[in-house]
Amino acid sequence: MSLRRVLAILLKDLRDAGRDGRILVLLALPIGLALFYNATIDDPDELPTAKVAIVEPAGGAVADELRRSAGRSVKVEVRQAADGPAARRLVADDKVAFAVVVDRAATRTDAPARADVLVGSDIKPTAQSVVALVPDALTRAAGERPGAQMQVSTVAQTDPKPYDIVETRALTVLIMIVMLVAFVAMMVVPIQTAEELETGTFGALRLAATGPEILAAKASAGCVYGVVGVAVTVLLTRLDIHDPALFFGAVLALVISLVAFGLLLGLLVPNSNAINTYGAFFLFPLVGLAVAVFFVDSGVLMTLLDVLPFSQATRLLGDGLAAQGPFDAGLTAWAVIAAWALLGYFLLARIATRREL
Amino acid sequence: MASPVPHAPAEVHPTARSAPPPPAVQIEDLSKHYGDVRALDGVSLQTAPGEIFGLLGHNGAGKSTMIRILTGRAKPTGGRARVLGHDMPRELAKVRGEINLVAETPNVYGRASAKENLEFFCTLYGLPRRRAAEVLAMVRLSDVAHRKAKTFSTGMRQRLLLARALLNEPRVLFLDEPTRGLDPRSARDLRDIVRTLAGGGATIFLTTHDMHEADELCQRVAFLADGKIVALDTPQALKLSLRDEAPAADVVLDDGSQLRLALHEPGDAARLTELVTARRVRSAHTLEPTLADVFIHLSGRSLETAPAGEADAA
Repeated sequence: MSLRRVLAILLKDLRDAGRDGRILVLLALPIGLALFYNATIDDPDELPTAKVAIVEPAGGAVADELRRSAGRSVKVEVRQAADGPAARRLVADDKVAFAVVVDRAATRTDAPARADVLVGSDIKPTAQSVVALVPDALTRAAGERPGAQMQVSTVAQTDPKPYDIVETRALTVLIMIVMLVAFVAMMVVPIQTAEELETGTFGALRLAATGPEILAAKASAGCVYGVVGVAVTVLLTRLDIHDPALFFGAVLALVISLVAFGLLLGLLVPNSNAINTYGAFFLFPLVGLAVAVFFVDSGVLMTLLDVLPFSQATRLLGDGLAAQGPFDAGLTAWAVIAAWALLGYFLLARIATRREL
Repeated sequence: MASPVPHAPAEVHPTARSAPPPPAVQIEDLSKHYGDVRALDGVSLQTAPGEIFGLLGHNGAGKSTMIRILTGRAKPTGGRARVLGHDMPRELAKVRGEINLVAETPNVYGRASAKENLEFFCTLYGLPRRRAAEVLAMVRLSDVAHRKAKTFSTGMRQRLLLARALLNEPRVLFLDEPTRGLDPRSARDLRDIVRTLAGGGATIFLTTHDMHEADELCQRVAFLADGKIVALDTPQALKLSLRDEAPAADVVLDDGSQLRLALHEPGDAARLTELVTARRVRSAHTLEPTLADVFIHLSGRSLETAPAGEADAA
């Protein structure tokens, strides 16, 4: 196998994809939907924010204590102000919800903790709740013991569901990523392959390159579309991935596995427009099955999900996304994907040989 | 009738003191079956280096199947096909740089320009990209090198196909119905290029069902019918083989009247001489059979019609 020829065909395919409106739509649609959902879905798990201006002496600890007091309830964004008038302007201009002007004497251990709090006229409940934390923060910053103390501990759920672990917005983006991979492997790759057969350019290629070189180049093109498309989606949506190696490994494994079937589809249905028109009707149910792993945990459907590469790859993607590992999919998932890949490439080799490609 | 595996014509296969080069194309008892359909059935022939060889047959006769085997894109069911001394398709890698094909279909990348199409194949063949510009000039497409191929006319696409086939300076060039759909001028241009290539030593293996083209271009032709070679010889010899009747001529006189004269009859021959001497002949045509007549005589059908239920699997 000549790497030069594989690379040449790969680059030709990539360039041709950029000129084919059908392929551009297939690539842009899932990415666009991911961006849309990412921008429009409010994640209930995301912390509300309160913006605060603080005037305190150098080395003061009020800001830190305020953040600590807010803990996981409110995200406190602090702006240091030079003096009282500056802090007042920030409140008046609605740059912050309220301002805390610490009495300089408050940092001295022999004086009681004291501060002026300037509150905006349209202060929101979130910011109001932070205002209530100011006395405690002042007391701590002054090195005094608060009147009462409490210890907060986290109690883990006994059996959290995957959809409890993965944030709604991240889950939506993940579904779009699975859809993107499905589009690439089962529509873009077969469309490019079928078009080569229907226009006869496959025959021209066969004079200058071997069949395996051509198919390897087309499979590689699918991998490039898939991995680059997913990377772009992740970057644009700022998806927070806990384990990038696992996440992108799963993407690559799924693309490699499905591309074999995409190439088969292209060889068996040498009509690129038919694939473009009807392909999505068959793909959406498969994407639905992939998403089902987040909601189904028993029964016949669960057994079906266990043997499908889509579903197992989605589990690996979920594990790569969240620190808690909602599925803990592990080796079984990799084995299922590998088995489908082997089956796909075996069938591809058989069909290609029988058709003398 | 000539043997299906004749010696090449002396003018294109001169005897040399050293060992003669292997035949450009050598086919022995070649067969290819698609299920019950025998696309090729025990075909044998060979062509010499520098020869323009024509394979004539109706649609579905097996011409394109033979090209597919000779270009390494199909495996024979039986027999042997060798190109430049190498078994096809097993040893395709050894001759990949020395053969090329102008396919019947205009199989170019429509969204790419002519230059991009050729540069891509330069990369595949390991040739410098400047070769693309050279062959574009040879087929007079330099002016449209940057135009997308899908905007080309049929003739321009065919020239682009020829340009692609010339990239690697093939020693054997296969042409599968190269002038189908071309206007007369483009077809003539293509034939001129083919003659030039053959003059430079390349072997041209041409399939066509255009008997005029074969008659004009080819040094030898083979008739393929139902997957079998039914005749193989020079066009002239094939035509003469059918002329079992007495030679005749159609003569148009200066007054517009027409005569048919049997040239073996002393009276008619003398009459013709007399008319010519008196400058009364406006035109005279000898009545010779065409290659199409020969084909119909041998196969029982015309070149344009395919037998029912048979398809060329190309």
